[in-house]
Amino acid sequence: MTALPPVQPPPSRDPLSEQYEHGRDLLGVETGLDSVDLVQLGESTMELNMGPQHPSTHGVLRLVLELDGEIVRQCKPDIGYLHTGFEKDFERHNYQQCIPYTDRMDYLSPLFNNLGFSLAVERLLGIDVPPRAQYLRVIMCELTRIASHLLWYGTSALDLGATTPFVYAWRDREKLLDINELVSGVRMHTSFIRVGGLLADVPDEFYGLVSEVIKTFPRRIDEHELLITKNPIWRERTIGLGVISAEDAMSYGASGPVLRGSGIPYDLRKAQPYSSYDHFDFDVPIGRNGDVYDRYLVRMQEMRESLKILDQAFNHLPDGPVNSSDRRVTLPPRNEINTSMESLIYHFKLVTEGFRTPVGHVYQAVESPRGELGFYIVSDGSNRPYRVKVRAPSFSNLSALPHMVHGELIADVVAVIGSIDILLGDVDR
Amino acid sequence: MTTAHQAEASRPVHGARAAELIARELPDAVLRRGVAYGEETVWIARERLVEVCTLLRDHADGRYRIPLHVTAVDWPDREPEEPRFDVVYQLRSLQHNDTCRLIVRVPEDDPSVPSLEKVFAGMDWHEREAYDLLGITFTGHHDLRRLLLPADWEGHPLRKDYVSFGEPVAFTHNLEWALPEQERPRDLPGETR
Repeated sequence: MTALPPVQPPPSRDPLSEQYEHGRDLLGVETGLDSVDLVQLGESTMELNMGPQHPSTHGVLRLVLELDGEIVRQCKPDIGYLHTGFEKDFERHNYQQCIPYTDRMDYLSPLFNNLGFSLAVERLLGIDVPPRAQYLRVIMCELTRIASHLLWYGTSALDLGATTPFVYAWRDREKLLDINELVSGVRMHTSFIRVGGLLADVPDEFYGLVSEVIKTFPRRIDEHELLITKNPIWRERTIGLGVISAEDAMSYGASGPVLRGSGIPYDLRKAQPYSSYDHFDFDVPIGRNGDVYDRYLVRMQEMRESLKILDQAFNHLPDGPVNSSDRRVTLPPRNEINTSMESLIYHFKLVTEGFRTPVGHVYQAVESPRGELGFYIVSDGSNRPYRVKVRAPSFSNLSALPHMVHGELIADVVAVIGSIDILLGDVDR
Repeated sequence: MTTAHQAEASRPVHGARAAELIARELPDAVLRRGVAYGEETVWIARERLVEVCTLLRDHADGRYRIPLHVTAVDWPDREPEEPRFDVVYQLRSLQHNDTCRLIVRVPEDDPSVPSLEKVFAGMDWHEREAYDLLGITFTGHHDLRRLLLPADWEGHPLRKDYVSFGEPVAFTHNLEWALPEQERPRDLPGETR
């Protein structure tokens, strides 16, 4: 597609000048009709504002698109509409109080934020989490990954006009949110994973719900795939679109399905296992071309891999406590408080001022549904983090968007945004 | 079952590969090295930063090609003995499955570091964020504007001297801090209490 041929410089808009009359003659504008903007007609590209209220920007993303006809010549994302200053908030709360803040960053997969923050603090403190808590963390995280991918699947198909997948995805996501509600009392901002372990052990109904998910979801995912994987319209709209090479994806700091869609089998659960992910056998699906369709296939396959991990973790779930026995971070049980002075002191200190961490800095990353979610925590020895930097996966992935949509049609921008699976709460923090 | 901490102790230190590489190839760029929590940090001279990162990206022993984040940590009490800001870079190498951390220290009166956007395309936004929230300027950046905050925002919120909560309330002992000059009372009832 070539640019429009160069045009004459726009005529002056001063009604008294000769040029103005000449310009009118040239364009065949009748005298008295001033509605034609002569300056606009002289330009070959147009700026279009997309968002921040556009439904397919998945939140409050604003894009300034420079269009040449229907072709996107340049795309400038404008972010920050959801900036909440969580990193500043962390600095004036003690470590336990920070956990609910982490929920609200990536609000579709809050457990990964809890987990990343807790793991980082546990490393600072040198605490080990009991095996049962580690396995339950894995189970809850993988359930959340499926829920997050289902939501992505539903909404990105909806962006391209497929309404049915959205309803099917919602039906299944409900089952997973029910489990969240059962274990933590809330459906989204669970704060279930705490420093040193979990909020509490799971209730008995949990086993029935999870085994039902493990039993029924493979069929359900087949159903989802049946709807759009071989759908000619879906393939037409996504294959070969929004391509990013492995080289570029790395340079932009992309991670998660965006990086794996470009053919790089990097998954932190495999590469740097945390929370006993090394006990489970699973594969890392990758794409070949790095286009929208490949990222779709990677996510669908990831849900099946998550089910594999769930199955193994659930069937080998160890018994035991779900909280560290380290009294610095865990409240002592009631009967211990009655008999032991030390326990009473720990209880008092933990409730009134929280716990202190040694001086130092640590970077801990987890593989969230969107990619590498990292927490860089600097501690000055007090009961509050001195500085927390959240390495948000959506932030880096979104910064590659201008590269992906360059030269694509404007109608396809929507499909590309959907395929990155951004979450503005995660981007803006 | 091995515990997470035993596993961490037996694993090679993260970033040791990068630290060795820089110490071998560009020894004069290294100011300090330190290991904590299984992660090695290298303090780099500011003017050698681009050179060091290019080395880490391209050298076969490094291949740190993924920029993870750029941020800064503000230590206002450290001035003037030591520079106030730690600018922290974290890179990841997929080939060697490693992550490394570099720190550049910059003083309050000249908080600038060379931009790395020519080395890693993804540094563009991270540097804008650090500029926005901490006021670190990245020389050579093509478009250093605020990213998350509105363009007309004043101040850099993640600096420690930026008060982010509450309203200043005027008492007799803190009038100069709490009120602008024209709003301060001319004469106070009683000199002091």
